[in-house]
Amino acid sequence: MDSAVSLDDVLARPDVWRGNHLASAALPAIPSGFAQLDAELPGGGWPRGALTEILSDCAGVGECSLLMPALRQMQREGKWSLLVAPPYLPYGPAWAAWGIDLARLAVVSPPHRGDTLWAVEQALASGALGSVWCWTTRSDTRQVRRLQVAAGGSATLAFLFRPSRARTEASAAALRLLLSAGPGGRLSINLLKRRGPPCTRTFHLDVTRPTRWHATHEAATALAGTPPALPSAPSQRTLALA
Amino acid sequence: MPSPSAIVEQGRILIGDAAARQAGIERGIGASAARMLAPAITLMARNPAREAAALRTLACWAGGLTPRISLTPDTLLLEIGGCLRLFGGLEKIVATAAAGLQAQNFTVAASAAPIPLAAQWLAQSGTAAYCLDDLVMRQRLDVLPIAILPAKAAAALARFGANTLADVRKLPAAALARRIGVDTVRLLARAYGEMPDPRPDFAFPEQFDLLLQLPAPVETAAGLLFAARRLTAALAGWLAARQAGVQEIMLYLRHETTETPLALRFADLTADGGRFERVLRERLERLTLHAPVESLRLAVTQVAFRPRRNQVLFDDCHAEQDAIGALLERLGARLGERQVYRAALREDHRPECATQCITLFEKPRSGKAAAAPRPLWLLDPPEALREVAGRPYRQGHLQLLAGPERIESGWWDSGEYGGENGDQTSGDIRRDYFIALSTDARWLWIYRECRPPGGWFLQGFFS
Repeated sequence: MDSAVSLDDVLARPDVWRGNHLASAALPAIPSGFAQLDAELPGGGWPRGALTEILSDCAGVGECSLLMPALRQMQREGKWSLLVAPPYLPYGPAWAAWGIDLARLAVVSPPHRGDTLWAVEQALASGALGSVWCWTTRSDTRQVRRLQVAAGGSATLAFLFRPSRARTEASAAALRLLLSAGPGGRLSINLLKRRGPPCTRTFHLDVTRPTRWHATHEAATALAGTPPALPSAPSQRTLALA
Repeated sequence: MPSPSAIVEQGRILIGDAAARQAGIERGIGASAARMLAPAITLMARNPAREAAALRTLACWAGGLTPRISLTPDTLLLEIGGCLRLFGGLEKIVATAAAGLQAQNFTVAASAAPIPLAAQWLAQSGTAAYCLDDLVMRQRLDVLPIAILPAKAAAALARFGANTLADVRKLPAAALARRIGVDTVRLLARAYGEMPDPRPDFAFPEQFDLLLQLPAPVETAAGLLFAARRLTAALAGWLAARQAGVQEIMLYLRHETTETPLALRFADLTADGGRFERVLRERLERLTLHAPVESLRLAVTQVAFRPRRNQVLFDDCHAEQDAIGALLERLGARLGERQVYRAALREDHRPECATQCITLFEKPRSGKAAAAPRPLWLLDPPEALREVAGRPYRQGHLQLLAGPERIESGWWDSGEYGGENGDQTSGDIRRDYFIALSTDARWLWIYRECRPPGGWFLQGFFS
């Protein structure tokens, strides 16, 4: 019986997780930058080599701000990131204010919906990117599975944004989050799925909101090693913070 | 290329393709006999000019293996002594060459020997002999039939009863020279390494501009890609020999009277045949041909020096950059170059002009990051909002959280703007910006137009 593998050995494998424990990832996760969220995410952050599905109905609740710390982390590692089919035009000065190097942030706007999936698969297959963000309005279970498989072979962070009506569908994504606007300008997050026991908590995260702009962004630009932008002529701009 | 097909010279079959051989069509049978065996056969007259062009194209391709190449009217000679170690031995370099030739759909007879003429004869006789040492080379040469020698000499030798080169070399030298001529004797001495066998180096063309005549008009992308591979492979070899790279290549699809130019662009300097081919495939798959293509022309205009990367010192960072370049140009080739872009900053007070989409081939200009709250997503053009009871309205009343921030500028190019980003926005603006909260708790960037006719507009989302 020496050749038999003991149950303990099997359970110790990183790709095996028990229902009542959080799975430990094969690749180190990227901290989300929100301690209370990291504590509940398997591996302690956004998983690499797996698909993270973000269900959110409308732009403007802080859904991108949630991922900014991770994007900045990937850029610090010298990696490129790719936005596929974003819903609107990325506004350069705002991304730069987050400390994002725009030279290493590529955007793809496929003219046909069918090409979006293709582009993401190519991006994940190349394995050279730090993160891939993709927005789809219509995607089915089979397509999500394809993306999860494509993500599986890489060390890339893969985020898929979908409308919240998809929450009832089965999904192959390793991690599923439902975003909504929380009280006091915070971002509410429900973990619909994770590799671990179900999580029923709702998180209220203090993502950066424009009324707290200066505090967060001065820290961001300092972190990125660029000098903070000079204040512009005060006579032309008056800003009252509520 | 239709099948079966065969090449005819002076009324006799010279060589046929696999289907022709299967039908029993062999070298030397008459053209009419071939037509009897395979009525559907396509017979083509031998075209020495096209053969020579194909050999020159192959010589360019071989630049990827060795910089020293020599051409004879029907053989390509590569000096590989200097690069055996680089490739890791004779077997490796032969395998690399064979794979490259197969990808271009060439069938070759190859041999290797220390003497160029010996290698040439061994190849021509169809002996796949790869020898690096003189003794083995002589043994291989000895068994070659005398038909390898010039026809007149071969006929004279046949009358003596000599069948192989070994038989010939047993004959007394003085008598031999009288009977088959001094030139043939010298030829033999050169092949056996007893006299020097100097070869002129193939001069790589200064400008890369090659034409490939297609044997039959092609209408499918797959067919074109297949044919164009000979040209892209030749370009890769030519660039490798010059230690150069290109960022743009032009492929001209020539129809009967017109031509379709295709510009293939790359994210960085490259000499990689695989990248040329991938980008070309994406472009061809998207292309609708309006007429069959009769020939292909591949040309490059700008070539830049690209030092050969040291294989040992090759670091991951470079490999990653190459992978990203290859990915982005692949996306661009399929989706359109303008669909793959980066956001760049511009020095402009007008919000919609402070950002700009640049393709991967444009250099980003300098600009400032936002110093005041700016949204990650921009609506271009802004969305007009209703005003209800004196307040902006979008699926409910909007709550103004911060503002106004007056942005006023651009009077200097009023009416002229629009050339650069291609849109018709702005010129002179005077706006009061607010951060607003919608009833469904979304954070919006809106403004009130101060100039008539006024009105509220949504310009961004604080995502």
